[in-house]
Amino acid sequence: MTQKIKQYSSITCLTALETVRQPIFLLLAVTCVLFTALTPQLLMFQFGEEGKLARDSGLAYHFVFGLFIAGYAACSSLAREIKSGTASAVLSKPVGRGTFLMAKFTGIAAAIAAFSVCAMITTLLSERVVMKFYESGELQGYLSDKLIGSLLIAAPFIALLAAAGVNYWKKRPFGSAAFGFLFVTLAFVFVTAGFFDIRGQFKPFDCRVMWRIVPASLLVTLALVMLSAVAVALSTRLSTVPTMVICTAVFAAGLMSDHLFGRYAGISAVASFFYWILPNWQNFWVADALDGGGSVSVSYIIHAALYMLTWSAGILCLGVLSFRHAEIK
Amino acid sequence: MNNNTDNNIAVKVEGLTKTFRDFWRRPRVRAVDGVDMQIRRGEIFGLLGPNGSGKSTTIKILLGLLHPTSGSVTVLGAPPSAVNTKSNIGYLPEESYLYPYLTPRETLDFFGRLFDMKGDVRKERTRQLLDMVDLAHEADRSVGEFSKGMARRVGLAQALINNPRLVILDEPTSGLDPIGCRQVKDLILALAKQGKTVILSSHLLADVEDVCDYIAILYKGKIRACGKVSGLLEERDAMRLTLPVLEPAKTRQVLAAVREIINAEPSIDRPSKNLEQFFIEVVQQAHRETERTGDVSGTRMVAEYLKNE
Repeated sequence: MTQKIKQYSSITCLTALETVRQPIFLLLAVTCVLFTALTPQLLMFQFGEEGKLARDSGLAYHFVFGLFIAGYAACSSLAREIKSGTASAVLSKPVGRGTFLMAKFTGIAAAIAAFSVCAMITTLLSERVVMKFYESGELQGYLSDKLIGSLLIAAPFIALLAAAGVNYWKKRPFGSAAFGFLFVTLAFVFVTAGFFDIRGQFKPFDCRVMWRIVPASLLVTLALVMLSAVAVALSTRLSTVPTMVICTAVFAAGLMSDHLFGRYAGISAVASFFYWILPNWQNFWVADALDGGGSVSVSYIIHAALYMLTWSAGILCLGVLSFRHAEIK
Repeated sequence: MNNNTDNNIAVKVEGLTKTFRDFWRRPRVRAVDGVDMQIRRGEIFGLLGPNGSGKSTTIKILLGLLHPTSGSVTVLGAPPSAVNTKSNIGYLPEESYLYPYLTPRETLDFFGRLFDMKGDVRKERTRQLLDMVDLAHEADRSVGEFSKGMARRVGLAQALINNPRLVILDEPTSGLDPIGCRQVKDLILALAKQGKTVILSSHLLADVEDVCDYIAILYKGKIRACGKVSGLLEERDAMRLTLPVLEPAKTRQVLAAVREIINAEPSIDRPSKNLEQFFIEVVQQAHRETERTGDVSGTRMVAEYLKNE
């Protein structure tokens, strides 16, 4: 049992590390952070919806870039491993196929979680940075947080420079070092934001960000993990391109399932079946609920997490069954 | 190879057939066709054959990576699907099989973890293996940046991390320079001396001839010849007599005596080294004369833990 746990954790860690070290992962993560950080600076004619635009854009970037990461990581982690032979090297050791597949999924989920934390911090800060109307005893007018806004844009570049230095002097792999530094620099900007008010004045630590974004970001992360489960299950039999195509189709169908099948679910057994079996991504998109001071309840998050777990467990069981009989050429 | 009790048999294959099917489940190609063989413990067994003869397919069936269409296979007394048996097997796959973004040290550490090794044992074996394959100075570079030969060395090291009882090497010398090939062959001989069973798949005949006790030659999935190497290669209708260099007069006397006995014309030539041996001597001489430049041409000893059976 202990050996199985060790194997599981080793393959999980390796998968997460390999995913993070892939250039495409770093490229997508840095682009997501940069787009989110630049959004407050590029907004024009907001009609008083600056905050909404910043957080909706941040969550949308999180979802879209995360989808690419989830799909690509899952495909490269299994389909390409089977094709390249790394899977045969691991499965020639005393590792069960079920353990291998589930550990792969967990590793990908860990990499997605790490990306999501970066995306969430950036969205929180981006919403804070955006120009807003303030009215208090000493201030009335529009203000944007220039200090944190500048630091947020600088963070990815500082991370890349630091990683280049570590790669040059310490010979550490660039991809994982850059992502690690991105994580650290964003955390640093987040902590710094707690010590400065929106006008850039130093104050005791009090991090004023819209914490209601956190549950929305968490729900997006759950959706990404769910999509990676689909990709992992498909990768047991299909190569990268068919897996990506089917994942895109599942994503599109799930996004429109309310419209395509939901409205006929009560009157048609077929529509009802598809509505039941397709993952409904709308359950994980709650950006609109944050408008006008709204928030996402804990019970909703628990329900969404259970939905994700149940659906992922089902599709991964099929994946394990398929992989047990798959031939590793 | 035969007439042994089952507990002395490391691998037993009976009537093994493997047919690959197309998308519609129609038979596409019969890669292995009714193969029977037995490999004794402590033996170096060579699987020979041209490309597509079924060598790698047979090996993958032994490892449980492919499922046989028919026939039975026993590896170390258990079916290939038994996960625990793999604790005693070391496998070097044919093609690229390493994680490109990992360093050799991380690669060996990862494979060591799969065998539930303690941290200090893993660390020590990693150090010894990297030294053995002469990659200690490249231990922290990504494997993806390595040449094929260097990647092969890392692959060989990962196959031995668990000190296996059965070592399966698929084209182990592919991509290696002559010194690397010699090292691998010396290693195989050393492993066999420790009582380990080695299955070697190759189409490099000289390599197989140098190290194998028994061979099976596959062609289109069938075994065409099987037996002890010396027995298969021996020319039973001729003999060779090796003498020190003689003066021309004495040579003529010897030839005349032999001619009289055999009543035919004997042939005479000088024994020669093989090219590999000559190459290694030249490089080793050059190596002694010049400073080491960071290449991977050193000849290393077998890792210490592999000697402790």
